[in-house]
Amino acid sequence: MLKMNNISRIYQSDTIQTHALRDFSLNVNAGEFVAVTGPSGSGKSTFLNVAGLLDNFDRGQYELDGVSVQGLKDDELSRLRNEKIGFIFQNYNLIPDYSIFDNVDMPLRYRGFSASERKRRVEEALEKVGLASRLKYLPSQLSGGQQQRVAIARALAGEPKILLADEPTGNLDSLMARQVMEILHDLNKGGATIIMVTHDPDQAREVSRNVQVIDGQLADFRVYAPLDRQAEQTGKNTSAVASKNVNEEVVDA
Amino acid sequence: MRSVSMLAYNLTLAMQSFKRAPSLYFLVVLTLSIGVGLLCANLALVNSMASDPIPEKSEQLFHVSMNTWPNDDPQAEPFHILRYREAMKIVSSDIPKNSAVFYASGVYARDSASPSLKRFDSSVRATTPGFFSLTNAPFAYGSGFIKSSVMEVVIGHELNQKIFTGENSVGKVLELDGELLTIVGVLKPWRLRPLFYHATEGRAFNLTDDIYAPLETSIDLGWSIHARSSSTVSYKGVKFTRDRDVFYLQAWVELENSVKKQAFQYYLDNYSQSLKDVGEHPLAIRNELRDVNAWLLEQNIVDQKVLAFTLASVLFLCVCVFNASSLLLSRFHSAKFEVGLRRAIGASNKNILMQGITESALLGVIAGLLSLLLSWLFLKLSTKFLPDLENLAVLEPKLLLLGVLLALVTAIFSALYPLYRGNRYTISAELK
Repeated sequence: MLKMNNISRIYQSDTIQTHALRDFSLNVNAGEFVAVTGPSGSGKSTFLNVAGLLDNFDRGQYELDGVSVQGLKDDELSRLRNEKIGFIFQNYNLIPDYSIFDNVDMPLRYRGFSASERKRRVEEALEKVGLASRLKYLPSQLSGGQQQRVAIARALAGEPKILLADEPTGNLDSLMARQVMEILHDLNKGGATIIMVTHDPDQAREVSRNVQVIDGQLADFRVYAPLDRQAEQTGKNTSAVASKNVNEEVVDA
Repeated sequence: MRSVSMLAYNLTLAMQSFKRAPSLYFLVVLTLSIGVGLLCANLALVNSMASDPIPEKSEQLFHVSMNTWPNDDPQAEPFHILRYREAMKIVSSDIPKNSAVFYASGVYARDSASPSLKRFDSSVRATTPGFFSLTNAPFAYGSGFIKSSVMEVVIGHELNQKIFTGENSVGKVLELDGELLTIVGVLKPWRLRPLFYHATEGRAFNLTDDIYAPLETSIDLGWSIHARSSSTVSYKGVKFTRDRDVFYLQAWVELENSVKKQAFQYYLDNYSQSLKDVGEHPLAIRNELRDVNAWLLEQNIVDQKVLAFTLASVLFLCVCVFNASSLLLSRFHSAKFEVGLRRAIGASNKNILMQGITESALLGVIAGLLSLLLSWLFLKLSTKFLPDLENLAVLEPKLLLLGVLLALVTAIFSALYPLYRGNRYTISAELK
């Protein structure tokens, strides 16, 4: 699904060169739920921005769902973002004076769907996050957790290949964070591929794979927890899939 | 279909954007509309001054200037007014399709059948019958007189309104300075801007005349000359001008092609030469035929002050565009997050550009409509302080359209730099 090989991202100011990513390599298979952890300034967000085609990279190869992104023009990158990627941001990034419907509808507008198709998709996405009855509400009329669920619905409405979540529970209290994580796990069980940047080791432990980023590189490939929560309940420590991915990335690295 | 849907979406976004910052957008609209309105008001004046008053045949109508002054004082420049004898020489030629010689006069007019003694001060064009065909004068009722020495007149729309409340007055009799003349034709509303047939003596922007009277009749009735005249002899009135060196008649001819123009030039030159041969004037043979636009150009009827003010208003519009651009830059900067979000979820640079252009085009249309109102106000104010501009201050449909287009273009131009700046950031930077 996502293949990054030796990606480098360097920010250049007048006097300082900052290596945000150095020879960063990562493969994520379809259906995986990967947590990306690491200290502040380690390059997690840069990785997510590059993965989401929100930022350029200076060296390396990046393939998303079989499409090599190097050299693509702006409108091709935009189409890739629109069709293959769903974003979930820490601050929800909802437009405050748009209704819930209009916020979720936004990405569909750029896909050229008919009004009826857009309506169907928006309602379906909001149904999945349990907010189908709040179509006409404004974001300010919802709690933080509900707003993040709207953001998830917006990411889902376009039926993307991969969901990229940047600390999706970072602004939520524990109860709401729990609800949001439940939704993400449910989506993953339904087949969604998810990459989530998080600071929360508990959340990282719950997912199929956790990768750590330090100084712009993958630090190690420790798998804190079983592949899924079911496995956790059965007491397994690692899964065969996780071990396979670790081995591949050790070789790539 | 998709592009229509996107246009509708972009229009909705533009309206939402206006609602978010109404004061700022009001300032942008006001700034642009003042700039465009002022320029349009000036262009309206320049347009009236510089336009072709009779485009369908302005290249075929020629003003006649001749060099037949009987001595060498004044200098040897062709004169725009002619003696009666030269005028008759022109009228008698069968080379032009139409010809007209005339002078301006004035009388007091009243309906001879009216019990009221109220008289209207009326301008008179004492002319030959060819005037009406030559100028394409539009008749509402009747037609022109066909002889120069009949007691008939054609009257203009305004005078017909004043005296006969706009009814068909053909056949009615006017009392003009005590003489009775029958109306044979009534003109429709007729504006020539500029008044090409009498563009001299600062009359280029006068209205068309109230009364058109036969030339010979006017002379016989002694209707005085209300325009420039020159003579080398003393005379007691217009009645005595036919065989004197009194220059007061203007002449126009309609020559359909260059061959006819050439032929008529020879005709005039031969006539001048024949006068010179018998010692009636000492000057070089120099007769000039100028078509309508060349003649108007020669008369410098476009006021240089108005041109200078128009140039100043172009510069003022540039300042307005700069200000509008600064305001829009601040607006677009504050919308940076939304732009970043839209791009993150799949909008391309082109989509964002189209969204910005749609918004600025909508601003432009609103500014255009407001600018038309302001243009009208500026013109009204101009004529209040400068009454001479009254007949010039006209907003023609093409200027209304130009105003809206100008506002549209300037609004889009104002948004270009802010849009360029807005699209330069990486998406991740816009989302921070």
